[in-house]
Amino acid sequence: MPLLELRNIYKAFGGLQAISNVSLTVNEGEIVSVIGPNGAGKSTLFNLITGVYKPDRGDIIFQGERINGLTPDQVTKKGIARTFQNLRLFTHLSVLDNILIPQHHRLKSSWLAAVLRTPRYVREEEEMKKIALEKLSFFGPRLMSFRLHQPVYVLSYANRRRTEMARAMATGAKLLLLDEPSAGMNPKETKEITQIIRRFRDEGGYTIVLVEHKMNLVGEISDRVVVLDYGVKIAEGDYKDVVNDPQVIEAYLGRREE
Amino acid sequence: MRDYLLTLLSVGLAALALYFLTVSEGTSGLLSALTLIFIWGIAAISLNLINGQLGILSLGHHGFMLIGGYVTALLMLPARERRPFRTRLLSDWARNHLDLDKWLRGLGLDALANSIDAKFIIALFIAGLAAALLGIIVGAPSLRLKGDYLAIVTFGFGEIIRLLPNAPEVAAFTNGPLGIKGIPGNAGNIWWTFLALLLVLWFFSRLKFSSYGRAFEGIREDEIAAEAMGVNLAYHKILAFTISAFFAGVSGGLYASYLQSVDTQTFNFFVTFFLLVAISLGGLGSITGALLGTAIVVLVRVYGGFLEQPNPAWVGYLSGAVLMLAAFAFSAYIRKARRLRPVIEPKHFIFGAVGAVLLVITIAFFKQPWMQQTVQFFGMRKMLLAVILILIMIYRREGVMGRAEFSWKLIIGPREDIPTDEQRKQDAWLSNPDLNPGLKEDGDDDASA
Ligand SMILES: Nc1ncnc2c1ncn2[C@@H]1O[C@H](COP(=O)(O)OP(=O)(O)OP(=O)(O)O)[C@@H](O)[C@H]1O
Ligand SMILES: [Mg+2]
Repeated sequence: MPLLELRNIYKAFGGLQAISNVSLTVNEGEIVSVIGPNGAGKSTLFNLITGVYKPDRGDIIFQGERINGLTPDQVTKKGIARTFQNLRLFTHLSVLDNILIPQHHRLKSSWLAAVLRTPRYVREEEEMKKIALEKLSFFGPRLMSFRLHQPVYVLSYANRRRTEMARAMATGAKLLLLDEPSAGMNPKETKEITQIIRRFRDEGGYTIVLVEHKMNLVGEISDRVVVLDYGVKIAEGDYKDVVNDPQVIEAYLGRREE
Repeated sequence: MRDYLLTLLSVGLAALALYFLTVSEGTSGLLSALTLIFIWGIAAISLNLINGQLGILSLGHHGFMLIGGYVTALLMLPARERRPFRTRLLSDWARNHLDLDKWLRGLGLDALANSIDAKFIIALFIAGLAAALLGIIVGAPSLRLKGDYLAIVTFGFGEIIRLLPNAPEVAAFTNGPLGIKGIPGNAGNIWWTFLALLLVLWFFSRLKFSSYGRAFEGIREDEIAAEAMGVNLAYHKILAFTISAFFAGVSGGLYASYLQSVDTQTFNFFVTFFLLVAISLGGLGSITGALLGTAIVVLVRVYGGFLEQPNPAWVGYLSGAVLMLAAFAFSAYIRKARRLRPVIEPKHFIFGAVGAVLLVITIAFFKQPWMQQTVQFFGMRKMLLAVILILIMIYRREGVMGRAEFSWKLIIGPREDIPTDEQRKQDAWLSNPDLNPGLKEDGDDDASA
């Protein structure tokens, strides 16, 4: 059984058909990249999976369960977490708080127990802190000492991207949807993040769907590449096959006038 | 542990200071000012939960307080105060049945019914519950509306609730516009409000620094992100409204008991407005700030009276001169502290010039009869408050405390967010490939972070 399955998804914004008839399966332990020119509908696809938008037609199936129609927080509880193309961190909160909030939905204690600091709540809180540090350790020690208590707005852009990825992992999801994880990073940082994403899968056991424009990153880590153009899936397969597909080249570079 | 002891110590000192205030003569003015600060502080802290921590502008707080005030009043009203209502609007049923004393005796809890203090605690609790119930209703639109629209709806709710006691159908319970008088004045005793405030401070700081508090702040920072991270928006918004309304109801009950009377004018819209000013002054999102802001506003209102005393006109001229010169010096000081150039902006010379002219006028015409004539300015207290608010908005828009809370760590350390030299060195070592040959392959950017 595939982890995630999209079946003939359609989504229109007014007259604009942002996604039409897209089907996609993601198996457990895969890294799948979604590429395509600007405005192809990649982020819209993520928004459909995570419940921000509802598909006009088609089904989204996660672990054998239909999840279209659920609200974003319910989807997250099922085990899908995402990062945003334009960072959406809790800017004025500390790095630690940013990574504790996604664990809140797993909290069993009631608000009254939280105020009274019952033993169970204290235990849960400690557990949450441990998980937060564990997720941050993917990115080395840089976020783990004093930066842990600094507000996000003092961090560098690359560190914010890292924080956002750690935040998505902290939800306890199995499937991570990363929307342009290397946007705004320099080549050195991009190289590092490529390694880290691979470690998400190898060490963290996550399945990853990735939207990316940097082709060397995509080529290096993807098991499979899906190409969208104007909301239509125009190619799918191995990175090498896909980039040599004439239809894909046409989508990116345009048709040569004869 | 150290912080805990320090907190206990300061609470003890505060209690001691209060004790000496209560036994010394001639301090009743200060005591009633403190009582007001405590009562309004509770209300401000509870409003801060919605407006500061959840980030929703809610303008209906006076409605919650009014419910709390009326419920406390009705439940606590002694039998001899109930009797005169026969000739007024209060119905027989309300007079005979809405009586905590009777309820407790009916349950066989005579011990509680005999103690007015125990009854007061129970009445406050019920008042809070009644307001909380309303909080659920008022909070419901926050699930669908945002920003200004929601503010208008909450304001509308607040006003509807406030005017409800006047409606003929309801007046049978509330005595209509006449209001309820003769409520036992427990809250006039400073210890009541002091303990209530301590409890509220404890509760709200525990809540803020819990997982739920973090979820509230996540919603404030970015609703979409919070939802994407699994935070159930509906549940948490309603929860915040309910908790906030509960404590607003309690503070309303305390205030009604302090005044020993309540009517629909006791909690009009200016109550919410006053609380908003207080929490904006203190710093939206900060519990300490809410209390501090309340203290500033109450103290200006109570002790600003001297501003409205009749005085010879020259006092006015002189104060004007001093104010203008102070503004001139202050603006220069701020610009110097911020290393802005030029230190004195041309437009600020206007302050200096006006100040100097006023000073010259005061001295030159000091003997003139119009200088010695007595004048009086009303509304100077509100002016002062407005000036304070304007200054805060110019120089420290996030309020005195910002989002920060008072904490011992902030004052005497250790500050976890500021790197020690050791950490700084390690950080530089990690991020600088030249210092760290092992990382030469893929260093990163952190030198600037
Ligand atoms: N909420 C919306 N309302 C109307 N149109 C939308 C909405 N969201 C997306 N669109 C449109 O849908 C199309 C696909 O947008 P989408 O953001 O998915 O592109 P993308 O592939 O992520 O592009 P990029 O590479 O620039 O991030 C665009 O034409 C966009 O303008
Ligand atoms: Mg996009």
